[in-house]
Amino acid sequence: MDDRTAIEICLKGENEAFRHLVESYQKQAVAYALAILGNREDALDAVQEAFVDAFRSLRKFDLTRRFYPWFYVLLRNRCFKMTAKKREIENIEETEILAPQASLSGEERFALERALLALSKEDREIITLKYLDGLSYQELAEQLEIPRGTVMSRLFYARKQLQAKLTGTFH
Amino acid sequence: MNDINCNDALMAKMVEIDNEETEFSSAQINFHLANCENCRRELEQMQVADNLLKRQVRLEQTANLWSGIEPRIEAETAPQISWKPFVFIGSFLVAYKLLEMLPDEDFGLAFKLVPLVFIVAVFVFLKENPFKINTELILER
Repeated sequence: MDDRTAIEICLKGENEAFRHLVESYQKQAVAYALAILGNREDALDAVQEAFVDAFRSLRKFDLTRRFYPWFYVLLRNRCFKMTAKKREIENIEETEILAPQASLSGEERFALERALLALSKEDREIITLKYLDGLSYQELAEQLEIPRGTVMSRLFYARKQLQAKLTGTFH
Repeated sequence: MNDINCNDALMAKMVEIDNEETEFSSAQINFHLANCENCRRELEQMQVADNLLKRQVRLEQTANLWSGIEPRIEAETAPQISWKPFVFIGSFLVAYKLLEMLPDEDFGLAFKLVPLVFIVAVFVFLKENPFKINTELILER
């Protein structure tokens, strides 16, 4: 079943069809939310709430669009709302965002993740979408709903911030 | 050649490294970098972070959220109880009470049982079982 069919069935009152959307995107959504919120429990809550938001707004969904970018906006709002309530990310004890790499020791990966979590949520978002999801500038502009020129400058300043956090660790 | 400022040069160089289009030409960017030691040093540091990040991938997540979402969306689509019957019942009970207050009128026992019948009807309507009466027949050995 494709997303469009699932949404159409869902709009006819078959809630079970929504399961297809949840199961298709939950992992991706949790990974994104985790990078923003810094802990898995909050990430799971945010994703669950975002899916319920999506269900409520499904009638407003334009069937010619792709589901995930639309859902992403709802998820982003949920995550940002949750970060506004929290003062800061608590000290992390293990890496949850970055996968182990042969080229990087566990300690270095931990330091990199700590540096990422020390960024503002907007900087962390653009950095993780660029590097971990491999989005192009055009895709970043669409996903974040900002002009391409703003992508360039936001990415540049986010990189500068990250570089400042990493100074002394990898140089 | 027109020189560009440090921020523009660094930003444009990073855009170029990302294989994206920039408003400045490579010649302009390289001219600035060739003549600005600060920028060269900063670019070098930015590239260390850039190379480090390019090698990273997200840790794959596990999640099974459907069991939490399903009851929520079922509740969203459950038929809502209308407020109209309650207004009707309320008005009826007020009228009943007013009738009851009429002096020198006795409407008999059936009249006195009306509130009780109404309460039972309300619970049946709401599908409530306030006294926890077991309505299922359980056969015991």
